[in-house]
Amino acid sequence: MTPFTGSDNDAVLGEPPSTDPAALERLQRFGGGKLLREMIGLFMEAAPERIGAARAAVNASDAKATELALHSLKSSSAQLGALRMQRLSEQGETIARTGSLEGVDALVTGLEAEYPSIQAWLERARTAGNA
Amino acid sequence: MNTVAVVEDNADNRLLLQAILDGLYEVVEYENGIDALAGLSANLPDLVLLDISLPGMDGNEILARIRADEHLMRLPVIALTAHAMAGDREKYLSAGFNDYITKPIVDEQLLLNAMEKWIDAGHDGQV
Repeated sequence: MTPFTGSDNDAVLGEPPSTDPAALERLQRFGGGKLLREMIGLFMEAAPERIGAARAAVNASDAKATELALHSLKSSSAQLGALRMQRLSEQGETIARTGSLEGVDALVTGLEAEYPSIQAWLERARTAGNA
Repeated sequence: MNTVAVVEDNADNRLLLQAILDGLYEVVEYENGIDALAGLSANLPDLVLLDISLPGMDGNEILARIRADEHLMRLPVIALTAHAMAGDREKYLSAGFNDYITKPIVDEQLLLNAMEKWIDAGHDGQV
């Protein structure tokens, strides 16, 4: 049986789930509990910085910097199965790549709101991955 | 053991590739294009895994410099990208990448198969 379950924030009406526990199992397959713990650790270091960088770039109307921050966040979120963060980042990145920041502010707000539940989810996974 | 150069700015992606390639390849990591181009010339690998979205010099520019360099031009280079838009594959292949792998990495065997294929082709002088 898999040690991983979804996040508390998974069930939002009309939306696909927030998380994909299979992504965590994949990381365990690639490199065991050690890789999983290290990947979670790196994500928890980098994700708040990237959300902060995206927020600062949006405030500064810097589309290129917004695109780069959201691209990195999309990639890391996808690898760890943080699906809602992946979707929000990707939507923002796609808009920013055209040079526009229309609607990106709300997407970054969505990321800021989503992150705490992902953090809690990954904390649980880190413990479960140790078992 | 064959040597693979990984050019990737994100620490989490480097760590993941290191775990997948551990025991199969000697891995040399570069975080940006300047370091990569200098390092590739000094220590020629058997294959390069090149991230597209890098700050400063991006993967497309690094590839163009590899293909313009007499010493490096025949290196097999696989693009790693999280863009994955329709038509991307053709775009990267026509730009001179030998292959194209999308992130997140879900099936490590796809990556390993592509690496093996292009390392063999490189050794046979077919890149």
